Amino acid sequence: MSDIANAGVTELGTRKKKKDWNKALFITLMVLPAILALGAFMYYPIEETFRLSLMRSTGLNVPTFNGLKNYISLFNSEEFRAGLLHVFVWAFFSILIQIPLAFFIAFSLVAYKNRVTRPLRAVYYLANVLPSAITAMLGVFLFSGANGIITTLAARLNWVWLAKIDWLGDQNIAFWSVFMMATWTYTGFPIVYLMARIEQIPLEIREAAELDGATGWSYARFIVIPMVTYPIRVLAVLCTVGSLKLFDLPQLMTKGGPGNATKTLGTILYNQGFVNWQYGSAAAVGVIIFLLSLVFTIAQFSWQHKEGSE
Amino acid sequence: MIDLHYDVFGNKKLAGPQNKGPEIMITVILVIFALAVLIPLVLPFFFVFKTRLEYNYDPWGLPKAITFDSFRDAWIAVHIGEGFINTLIVCIGAIACTVPIAAMAGYVFARYRNKITEVLFYVILMGYFVPIQMVLIPLARTSAKVGLIDTLPGLFLPMAAFGVPFWTMIYRSFFKDLPGELADAARIDGAGHPGTFFQVMLPLAGPATVLAVLLVFMGAWSDYLLSLIMINNSALFTIQLRVSQFLSAYGVDNMPQYAAAALISAAPTILLYILGYRWILRGTLAGALKG
Repeated sequence: MSDIANAGVTELGTRKKKKDWNKALFITLMVLPAILALGAFMYYPIEETFRLSLMRSTGLNVPTFNGLKNYISLFNSEEFRAGLLHVFVWAFFSILIQIPLAFFIAFSLVAYKNRVTRPLRAVYYLANVLPSAITAMLGVFLFSGANGIITTLAARLNWVWLAKIDWLGDQNIAFWSVFMMATWTYTGFPIVYLMARIEQIPLEIREAAELDGATGWSYARFIVIPMVTYPIRVLAVLCTVGSLKLFDLPQLMTKGGPGNATKTLGTILYNQGFVNWQYGSAAAVGVIIFLLSLVFTIAQFSWQHKEGSE
Repeated sequence: MIDLHYDVFGNKKLAGPQNKGPEIMITVILVIFALAVLIPLVLPFFFVFKTRLEYNYDPWGLPKAITFDSFRDAWIAVHIGEGFINTLIVCIGAIACTVPIAAMAGYVFARYRNKITEVLFYVILMGYFVPIQMVLIPLARTSAKVGLIDTLPGLFLPMAAFGVPFWTMIYRSFFKDLPGELADAARIDGAGHPGTFFQVMLPLAGPATVLAVLLVFMGAWSDYLLSLIMINNSALFTIQLRVSQFLSAYGVDNMPQYAAAALISAAPTILLYILGYRWILRGTLAGALKG
């Protein structure tokens, strides 16, 4: 009797164990491709970048250890300091211009919904989906000093002061021409994102605000802005991390020039690694981009955490 | 929580302000901003139908006769037709490598939660925050060693690896929101773990898969930096590399040709956007509104 019972239990046990093995195998096979892909193309190269950044590695030579020399020579080079400065100036003005502009448009689109404004959201996002190579092409089309549209239009209108401006060739202006093109293409995302966030505000809150006399822009100022501070912070972090990675537009429109006028960490890394073959130095730039974006991402997460606990 | 059914064109009409004055003013401002987006895309049309000579003599004048030559010249100069096939292969490769891997991993992280899978999830999620610049140098060096450089898989494999974290996260949220009873019912009916996933749960994740396919396609289509690093052989150039090559080789000397090149290069993206903007906006928001 007890034997039979025991046998039953054992059989159940082995079946369960077998099932667990099946389950473990299933989980492993399902997750393995993702782990392998990230291991091969992300985590292994990250480790290599850290290692190379401490090496003297040029062209075909065997890399030799040279400590922090790559970092020191980067910070001693005018080009790198200019690039680092541009990253922060770029981030500062992206936040200062793109986010308020996006908030104004997003709030207006939600608050003043009518037949004209409803389809505009799709228009604002259009520039955001254009590949950067094409945005750069349109940027050169508009801003080229020799033959560009702004210059020829100014000449046609006899506005000599405007026609004289060399938008991409002047050291003091090129950065802002690229920045204008970036604002044109990148503002679409904050608009759509903030709009979705504003639309999530429950109707009751809006109605209650209206009863209290908060309509239009006072509603925006006292109800909406406090409710979207977290999304705005997220956008600010995205702007900052975006400027750390900035490469396509300055590379394609001005190649980082004239002089150092539009150098960014992205263009410096490319030049060091793939034009000058200074792998060690390029890897050091990569590490700096990585660490800085890590700092800003962690800042965002700590805010998110606070938000959750409030 | 992610709401993939979020209606970006929602008709929830908020009780609007009674006064019509501000509404008209704001509407006008919004239209002006929208024109600012459209003008750079429309302007090239003013210049493509004239000859180079006409442009140099009077850029803003009307052409004597409408000519389509600049379109033909630009088509030849950009080699966009040759880039098209390569770009398409890269897009398909990126989709085929990103979407199934992310769907599988996301499913496990949603439905088989324990300490180990949680840790693995965070290992993969961290990849979302890695800037691609952090891997470029070793990626190029290692790819050169193993013969992946100057091949299209050499481009779409790392592209997929960088897409997997984001889409794993999206699939995980999506599978979490699906009712667990469906999976349990399938299990009771005798379907194994793989059967439950492939025959029951994956088809239910259709909306997430549509978004993933579309947005991975757009990302692969638009890529510039990774293509620049991984592809040196001009026979394998993608559209974006062809565009940048045209940009540096020809510049704006021949403005009608340049304008035509800009229009031709932008056309596929704009066409795709017009066809699929609802999905594109929805997918973008699904990603952005997580958490």
